[in-house]
Amino acid sequence: MNPLRHSLRVFAAETLKQHRRLFGQPLVVFSMLVWPVLQLATTYYTLRPVATASRAAENWPLAADPDRLLAFLATGTLAYAFFFSLVQSAWHLSFERTTGTLELLFLSPAGRLTLMIANGAGALLQNAWLLTCFTVAALTGFGTLSVSAWWMYGIVLLALLIPAVAWGAFLNSLLVFSRDSAFLYTILDEPLWFVSGVRLPHFALPAAVQVVGAVFPLTGSLLAVRGALLEHRTASELAPTLLGLGALSALLLVAAALILRVGEARARRTGALSLV
Amino acid sequence: MTMTTAIEVRGLRKDFPVREKGILGPRTLKRAVDGLDLDIPRGRVTGLLGLNGAGKTTTIKILATLLRPSAGTVRIDGLDAVADARAVRRRINLIAGGERMVYTRMTGRENLWYFGQLYDVPKADLRRRTGELLDLVGLSGAADTMVERYSRGMTQRLAIARGLVNRPDYLLLDEPTLGLDAPIARDLRRVVADLAAHDGTGVLLTSHYLAEVEELCGHVYVISAGRHLAQGSPAELKAATGSHRTVRLTVTDPTERTRAAADAFGATRETLPDGGELITLRHPGDMAGPLTAAVFEAGGSIGGLEIAEASLEDAILTLAERGEAGLAGPGSGRPDATTIRPGAATAPPEAATAPPEAATVPPGAGTAPSEAAAAGVKGGTP
Ligand SMILES: Nc1ncnc2c1ncn2[C@@H]1O[C@H](COP(=O)(O)OP(=O)(O)OP(=O)(O)O)[C@@H](O)[C@H]1O
Ligand SMILES: [Mg+2]
Repeated sequence: MNPLRHSLRVFAAETLKQHRRLFGQPLVVFSMLVWPVLQLATTYYTLRPVATASRAAENWPLAADPDRLLAFLATGTLAYAFFFSLVQSAWHLSFERTTGTLELLFLSPAGRLTLMIANGAGALLQNAWLLTCFTVAALTGFGTLSVSAWWMYGIVLLALLIPAVAWGAFLNSLLVFSRDSAFLYTILDEPLWFVSGVRLPHFALPAAVQVVGAVFPLTGSLLAVRGALLEHRTASELAPTLLGLGALSALLLVAAALILRVGEARARRTGALSLV
Repeated sequence: MTMTTAIEVRGLRKDFPVREKGILGPRTLKRAVDGLDLDIPRGRVTGLLGLNGAGKTTTIKILATLLRPSAGTVRIDGLDAVADARAVRRRINLIAGGERMVYTRMTGRENLWYFGQLYDVPKADLRRRTGELLDLVGLSGAADTMVERYSRGMTQRLAIARGLVNRPDYLLLDEPTLGLDAPIARDLRRVVADLAAHDGTGVLLTSHYLAEVEELCGHVYVISAGRHLAQGSPAELKAATGSHRTVRLTVTDPTERTRAAADAFGATRETLPDGGELITLRHPGDMAGPLTAAVFEAGGSIGGLEIAEASLEDAILTLAERGEAGLAGPGSGRPDATTIRPGAATAPPEAATAPPEAATVPPGAGTAPSEAAAAGVKGGTP
């Protein structure tokens, strides 16, 4: 009984499960690559005429250059794809209540938080790699990248992966014990896109929206990713953002662990695997 | 408490909080299990019977750590089901029938691998075990087919293999053959009997197919409304309730004399369309011989004879009816729980059918045959 080995085995198991779910249908390439790229194109051609107008450039200099605007939106799409793939996998996990397999997960001796993290990470790794490669290749090709050091790519990856995994574990824990997963799905699609500054720079959003956006790790991830890739920021310049992201990730994981504790205790009392 | 190799349930109670009329309604408690004592030793199939809503599934889920008892203790080989839940989960498994309990987007083999990983089954063991289990449930040929293309019976068989992937010391079966074809159900019964007899697995089985319970179980607990009603081997339970054999005798040329002979036994008579008569006699003893002889001596010609054995089903129904009547009455406390014999937990399967030392409760009112009293099952509320 080696807890670390057991956790790794749960990771492997969940990764296979997610692989079968994601690659079970032939349209997967569509949802993984074509769909985000289409969305990116739509946004770009909608925004370009407005953003490149002379008055707009005064407030948002980056937008004056169409290539940099495209890079800005592409990083937004990439980061959004990371986080949204976790909303999707949490949604699927909540369906395991109906198929009876959720109870089997809780019947097993596998660690609950491990399961929730592994489930999200398994989906994330397989969902986002294609788009990541594509985005990096495209940005390099356009020559719009402005990176202070090669290892900033590593920081970018971590700034995306760690908060996303924590976010996934949090969502999974919440949805596993909630009957209203449809509701959560609705509030986390378009609104997430909006408040996190996927299509517009964070500073352009109303103050209230900025506050709401700060709750979502996607916001911080975007700031870090764009800072590192497009604005030539160094690690020390990004340190406050990165620290904030780290704190938020830790908070999400603690919240996930708490929800799991309370949720499972409640489920064992009432017989319903549900918080509501 | 001493360490034993059995599941020991003492004074188990489960109250579900329920809200009447929506989430804002007043909260009340629904008592699903009320003071149960059970012993589920290794190497035996123990039955848990009762009508719908008796509390069987609730009990099984408590043993599986999926529910927390409101009161009482559950010890599994000395481990507490609440305090040591995680250790307990490694030693048990649960198979429930009638539901899709595997992943349809994975193959059969992948499903077993997946759950083996969750149970941290050692790698080499897992590969071997996966093969063995697929063989055992007859899915070797479909091992690498996606479960979504399995038939219902195949899916159910895979769910059974899933329940064995961690080599559980104790297997909890909640209506495992629900919705299965007769041949598949028969195969499952063979697997379960083998597990208990050869691997020494302790099995707890609930089923609505009482023939299945009769075939497999060395010891049966009967519960009603969450309370203990009776226990014993299937034979003891039948004897205790004075379950009747049914004799059906067809007389082709009924006369006054044959009718009188039949009436002397207290049998019922029914005229058949062809002018013959069907004599039906329900009796705890074996009355086929005497009845036939009497009718024959009265000059009747016998057109047919049919004997239906007493079934456990009759016994359970009788017990449940009695239980409900008894439980409704005042002062009908929990029946005496001292029927658990010392050492029963470790006794070999045959020992389960041995009569308990003494009968405390006379079986069925009036109709009880004397041999039932000798068999001495302690029934529920008199
Ligand atoms: N989660 C729950 N919340 C409230 N009441 C419950 C819950 N689960 C079960 N009950 C109640 O507890 C009682 C026992 O239910 P249980 O499912 O254990 O019965 P059972 O013996 O398995 O019945 P069946 O033969 O129909 O499967 C029933 O009255 C049921 O309505
Ligand atoms: Mg049930």
